[in-house]
Amino acid sequence: MLKTVISLICALFLLIAGELFESFFVQKQFDEFDLALQTLYLKADDEEITKEDVLAVQKNWISKKRLLHMFIPHTEIKEVDLWLSEAVSYAKSDNFEEVLSKIEVLIEMCEQIPNTFKLKPENIL
Amino acid sequence: MSTIFFRTLIIFITLMVVLRLMGKRQIGEMQPFEFVVTLIIADLACIPMADVAIPLIYGLVAILTLFVLHQLFSLLENKNNLLKFIISGKPSVVIDKNGVNIIELKKNNLDVADLIEALRGQGYFSLDDVHYAIFESNGKLSTLEKEDYLKNPPSIPTVLINDGKLNKTNLALNNIEESFLKEVLAKNQTKLSLVEVMTVDKNKKVYLKSKNKPYFTFNLGELYA
Repeated sequence: MLKTVISLICALFLLIAGELFESFFVQKQFDEFDLALQTLYLKADDEEITKEDVLAVQKNWISKKRLLHMFIPHTEIKEVDLWLSEAVSYAKSDNFEEVLSKIEVLIEMCEQIPNTFKLKPENIL
Repeated sequence: MSTIFFRTLIIFITLMVVLRLMGKRQIGEMQPFEFVVTLIIADLACIPMADVAIPLIYGLVAILTLFVLHQLFSLLENKNNLLKFIISGKPSVVIDKNGVNIIELKKNNLDVADLIEALRGQGYFSLDDVHYAIFESNGKLSTLEKEDYLKNPPSIPTVLINDGKLNKTNLALNNIEESFLKEVLAKNQTKLSLVEVMTVDKNKKVYLKSKNKPYFTFNLGELYA
């Protein structure tokens, strides 16, 4: 009986700790990425954005992605890579309008992806 | 992570309810919640293992959730009899001093053929070989044999009437005319629609159980001697 209660408490503790860490970690990664994207957006809006700026954000994203893959299915965040690559390409050709639209999509994704992992009835059901 | 926890919880509870409603036929020597865990755990382990796009943690969280539920259900079962009944069900006495209890059989989605099959698995070939037969909550059949059941001449009985329904194949197999059977029933103050179980073996020994009456056995040959 005592063994069952202890194992139950340990397992519950692991689940709760894991949940807290996951929600904090995933949200933090996307918040930081969102901040970088907001800066890029302002630069693109002012037509000051360069290929190097986007590449720096892309490099930062790749390092975050490695860790995020532990918590989020690969297919969920694959799209971010594609949109970022397109933004790099448009920044290279100084196509600011397209860069802006790509960054807008990325900002939206930054809000949406962590939401799909939050404890909400629509995610559970 | 919490999403997976609650999703696993919902699936677990749903499977538990469905399995409990299905009766004891679906369970093989396990309590319902143990059976549910066994049913889910293999898939939970396989999917993240085989699909590299799914983080391993998804499988781990779901398995850990099942472990929590299993331990919790075990604890609740031991703590409270009512909870034990809700979680695992209660044993069903399917044969008692009055014979086959068709109501208990139906509650567990079983019929006389299933009962005879389960009895054969225990080594009893006639419904008359046991005083009591109980389907335990884990689906296993427990029996209390009659002291002299081995003295009965060996023969395998076949079901002639199962819950008011006549089995014409078995009737022909035993060379019994339908009119003769109706005559036999009338002589025993019953009729087809009232008979819950009637079996006959090769020695012409009949087991007859009518609604609201205790069972009795007789020999078809003796009846007309």
